[in-house]
Amino acid sequence: MKAPHENNGMSRRRFLTLAGGTAGAATLAAMGMAPGWGENRAAFDPDNMDQKTHQTDVLVIGGGMAGLFAAVKAHDAGARVVVLSKGRLGASGQTPFAKGIFAFDAREAGMSLDAFVAEVSRSALGTNNPVYTRQMAEHSAARVAELRDWGFFDSPLCNKAFSRPMEARGIPLIERVMVTHLIEHEGRIAGAAGFTLDDGHLIQVSAKSVVLCTGAGGFKPNGFPICDLTHDGTVMAYRIGAKVTGKEWNDGHPGQAQNPAACFDGWHGMFERKPDVTGVDVRHDLGVELNYVAYTKGAPLPPGPPDRLLGRLDGGPSRPRGFDRPHGPPPPGGGWLTGGPIHRPPLPGADGGAGGGPGGDKGPPGMRGAPVGGSSAGMAIHKSEGLVPINDRCESNIPGLYAAGDALGSYMAGAIYTQIGSSLAGSAVQGAVAGEAAAGYSRGVPMPSVPADKLAQVENEMLAPLRREAGYGPAWVTQTLQGVMIPNFVLYIKKESMLNAALAYIEELRDHHLPMLCAGDLHELRLAHETANMILSAEMKLRASLMRKESRCSHFRIDYPEMDDANWQAWINIHQGADGQMRLEKQPFDRWPA
Amino acid sequence: MAISSIDGCIGCGTCVQSCPTDVIRMDPRTGKAFIQYVADCQICHLCRMYCPVDAISITPDKSIPVVVSWG
Repeated sequence: MKAPHENNGMSRRRFLTLAGGTAGAATLAAMGMAPGWGENRAAFDPDNMDQKTHQTDVLVIGGGMAGLFAAVKAHDAGARVVVLSKGRLGASGQTPFAKGIFAFDAREAGMSLDAFVAEVSRSALGTNNPVYTRQMAEHSAARVAELRDWGFFDSPLCNKAFSRPMEARGIPLIERVMVTHLIEHEGRIAGAAGFTLDDGHLIQVSAKSVVLCTGAGGFKPNGFPICDLTHDGTVMAYRIGAKVTGKEWNDGHPGQAQNPAACFDGWHGMFERKPDVTGVDVRHDLGVELNYVAYTKGAPLPPGPPDRLLGRLDGGPSRPRGFDRPHGPPPPGGGWLTGGPIHRPPLPGADGGAGGGPGGDKGPPGMRGAPVGGSSAGMAIHKSEGLVPINDRCESNIPGLYAAGDALGSYMAGAIYTQIGSSLAGSAVQGAVAGEAAAGYSRGVPMPSVPADKLAQVENEMLAPLRREAGYGPAWVTQTLQGVMIPNFVLYIKKESMLNAALAYIEELRDHHLPMLCAGDLHELRLAHETANMILSAEMKLRASLMRKESRCSHFRIDYPEMDDANWQAWINIHQGADGQMRLEKQPFDRWPA
Repeated sequence: MAISSIDGCIGCGTCVQSCPTDVIRMDPRTGKAFIQYVADCQICHLCRMYCPVDAISITPDKSIPVVVSWG
């Protein structure tokens, strides 16, 4: 017996085309099928799409802060560059909403670079990679100066400022392209493929190197402007053998209980503010404390300044000594220099202290009304999840494939929010580093030549949801996934039984529903691929959360509430085994991957 | 209802480009933008902020579809 998702030789749509609409419908009825059965809206014909091909040294995927710098610096290093973006340059992903960018100035900060890195490492409880922490601080002022020249600080909207350096260099930019596949050939990267959302062209780019600047992602949650971010880059890279990390960590931004979907309102107009520059202010924020309070005490949580809401609760997430004030830096001489024992501080009412726009800044949501959790569900701490770097050049384990910003699991700030504004700075810095590295790599390799049958297979996979005569709508599958993953007793307050229960649901979606996702037009085709990516990301989050049998930073296991330094001074890397199964392995904090 | 109306559109297409979640499309008959996929509106207001003639209205509420047994 065929699986339900296998075509029975002829799609319903083609049958109707061949038989003529009315006659075909009558024939279907005679076969015992109601004409409405399994009807997939045929608003777009996948068999009549034009294809556009491009060749380049460096392909940059993503048009946010990391993508901008990757493109500009790769070009300036002598490479031919093409940029593909799912949305508009500077107007998609989290970049448009991040209103603070950190620039390190030793004199102004009153501390050396070494002292800064050490302070971040203390807050991050060892989860940060100090090489990337230092790199961000070291290069931040130079990137900020370039942004200032381009007019970034002169407007709340950054498309114009981002367009200036792109247009000055004549870098080709193709916007509103859903990239669905990275293409690997003979053990190295060979390009990518996708489709345009407006005119429905297939896009195929042959490239010597690719820089993924695709951001992080979530489960299209309500209250955080990340509904276009579905871990696309990470999952595409995973499917061709890249290692992925950071899936057990959580971004703990709260939203508002009233009108929880209203991102703009929840951030109280901050999205209309011009960006500004932030200084050193190391914290330990935006973990899962608010979720723990709601889990143990119940909702609604009272509104108001978070640090005077609630008293001490036993058994919840811990903070490192010296960082017990939820929204302030450690006191000078407070004992943290020697790295004292972990203790449990009074819990805040809203652990959204260091927010101020996705990407970090100041003034979080949830301060003026009752807060609610899960607004950024499915997303980890900035820079903690994504491709595993094998060195300080943002290079992945696939030759020629680089990643930067939130698509790179650089652990620049560790597994907790340690700083305001460093996230956007890190995207700029890493974009530049990755762009230059990719340009250098491209000089030494020939243009890949991908066999036609491989490209045909990619196209078939890309368009399959349009060709299915029946299946599951991506919106419904997404909603089902949200119902499994977003409640706070799954990923925020974790325990073995619930993680396994959720994993059973997600495996069902992966094995049965993902292969039957259908789409009636290009918008739904995009949603179908986004949904498939979210399913894989959910599986990664659950498996990594099950594996880490301790609590640390933004990962809280109520059945293992203590930090376990004996076993868990390690990150978790995930890759696809030869048998197609998800494999998880530890990587010690102080080492690059083997 | 999220993005609720586009009134006074001059047909420049900027909002279509600027919507991260692909909610707005151009109507080929009228040459004006229209709200096609409102369920995917994330209420971020980028379309409104980029609109050169302030044509777009947005409300903070969003009707979340009920969970059903198949879809």
